[in-house]
Amino acid sequence: MILFYLVSLLTITFSLLVIFTKNPIYSVLYLIATFFTFTIHYVLLNAQFLAVVNFIVYMGAIMVLFLFVLMLMNLNKETEPMKSTLIKIIAVIAGGSLLVTLIGSFKQLDALGISTINKPEIGLVENLGKVLFSDFLLPFEVSSILLLSAMVGAVLLAKKDKTDNG
Amino acid sequence: MNTLIVISVLALVVLYLGLFKAGKSLLPVSVMGLLLALGLAVAEWNVNPAPIYKGMMLFDNFAIAFSAITILGTILILLLSKNYFEKISEHVAEYYTIILFALAGIMVMVSYHNLSMLFIGVEIMSVSLYILAGIKRRDFASNEAALKYFLMGAFSTGFLLFGITLIYGSAHSFDLEVIKQYVLNNANGGISPMFYTGLSLILIGLCFKIGAAPFHFWTPDVYEGSPTLITAFMSTVVKTAGFAAFLRLFITCFAPLADFWVPTIIVITALTLFIGNITALYQSSFKRMLAYSSISHAGYMLFAIIGLGNAAINAVLVYATAYTIASIIAFAVLILVKKQTGSDNYEGFNGLAKKNPFVAFTLTIAMLSLAGIPLTAGFIGKFFMFSSAVAQYQIWLVVIAIINAIIGIFYYFRVIVAMYFKEGKNLILATPIQFRFVLAVSAILTLVFGLYPTIISELI
Repeated sequence: MILFYLVSLLTITFSLLVIFTKNPIYSVLYLIATFFTFTIHYVLLNAQFLAVVNFIVYMGAIMVLFLFVLMLMNLNKETEPMKSTLIKIIAVIAGGSLLVTLIGSFKQLDALGISTINKPEIGLVENLGKVLFSDFLLPFEVSSILLLSAMVGAVLLAKKDKTDNG
Repeated sequence: MNTLIVISVLALVVLYLGLFKAGKSLLPVSVMGLLLALGLAVAEWNVNPAPIYKGMMLFDNFAIAFSAITILGTILILLLSKNYFEKISEHVAEYYTIILFALAGIMVMVSYHNLSMLFIGVEIMSVSLYILAGIKRRDFASNEAALKYFLMGAFSTGFLLFGITLIYGSAHSFDLEVIKQYVLNNANGGISPMFYTGLSLILIGLCFKIGAAPFHFWTPDVYEGSPTLITAFMSTVVKTAGFAAFLRLFITCFAPLADFWVPTIIVITALTLFIGNITALYQSSFKRMLAYSSISHAGYMLFAIIGLGNAAINAVLVYATAYTIASIIAFAVLILVKKQTGSDNYEGFNGLAKKNPFVAFTLTIAMLSLAGIPLTAGFIGKFFMFSSAVAQYQIWLVVIAIINAIIGIFYYFRVIVAMYFKEGKNLILATPIQFRFVLAVSAILTLVFGLYPTIISELI
């Protein structure tokens, strides 16, 4: 339990640092740290598959992609234009309302008593695979359309045209 | 299910046709395939009301009716694509493929019976649309539209997903039937507070997708920046699908909690109507006016979600049909005018009726239908919407809606006035046969539904 609180504290600190640092490169690095704490959370929840996937895909592949884009576009300066005060106030109010709603509902939940899942092995790869290929077979297959569509689109947008000048 | 398979396979076939340089056969093959899909969908009418694939999808009459509308809308829009995509680039087959993929996502959205399917359907549709919005790669507005749509869409998906998670956390299932049972069993106070938060977040996510105020701010820029044909697709077929998904979730699962979310929807509806209509008044671009008018029509369609029940489903069905066919006419004429004049302002329509009586006449019917004038489908749609709201004693909302309908008449008539009573350059529009066909079919359908509304109003 102490470990959980420690990791949660780290998660919150790192994610706050992501949005408060001015330099995008530092933001990305803190984001990596945030994802790493997520991985620890998954391990604590006995969700090994998610932990591994989160570690490889998010921390590895996606973050490298982020860094590459930042370097290629040379965004490592503090170029982000400042938003107007009005927008900042609106954003704070909206975000604050969401936070209050969430905290309120979770706090009430505490009083009702949390329903615990009494199957600790639910997050293991074997069980996940069984669910994915029995109950959730259709969503699993249909998501192939999603990937294919994204792939065709990415090629379409990135491919050079004969008529293009560039 | 057959419909979904046919459309997905069709998309792949079209992609391969592009590979073999069979450019001429793209449109016929797509249209034939869609007609086949439509036939298969209609064949399942009243046949198979049990959820399939472990409760993932349910092809009830609701799903079939909305599938039919969206497929028909797509066919009409594809017919307008003759020589349209060729001008953008040579990858025409890919454009058709992505439109068909978007339609496959829409099929999932109208027939889901599990929140995971809802999410995947919404994503297939949205990802395809982000790409379609940006296909004019050399055009700044198109790029801006794609990026804005992508960022806003991804953001709203976050809300939707978080909402689904919280609902799962309290009901322990993604299945609509189980969630419904959970709500019914715990109706007197036992529902977890997490469930309400989840409901609100899903509501926000879906309102983003249908472009209701105050989550509408992406709509005008995206609709204006995207290629006109894609805008037509987004504001008709996609919007219909969004409402179908919205309605299905709220009627099936959340109806017993109406006291909780109806006030929110009422505020959203009123805001959407006012913002959409009043801003549309001040537009000088016809395309932008249509974008704002599509926001205001989202407001009218939200009435159905307040109304709930079978009458509301019928109302949304009629309204969506009327709005889809009328908008397709408007966008078709806009494409023609833009091709000749190069701009999409009202001025382009000046004096159009003199040399192009047929085009002007169909556009007039479309505008009358959008404005909700009797004898057109649009009037019937509004009538059903308002009566479903009156049945729920939402008198004030109806009063607001009628004020807005009157505001709407003003800007829709501006086009008619420009066409008939203003002096213009007397340009003659080159109207290809497909355009004539689409315009005629849509205009006739608008009038037929206006005169004999019972054809579709008693379907479900």
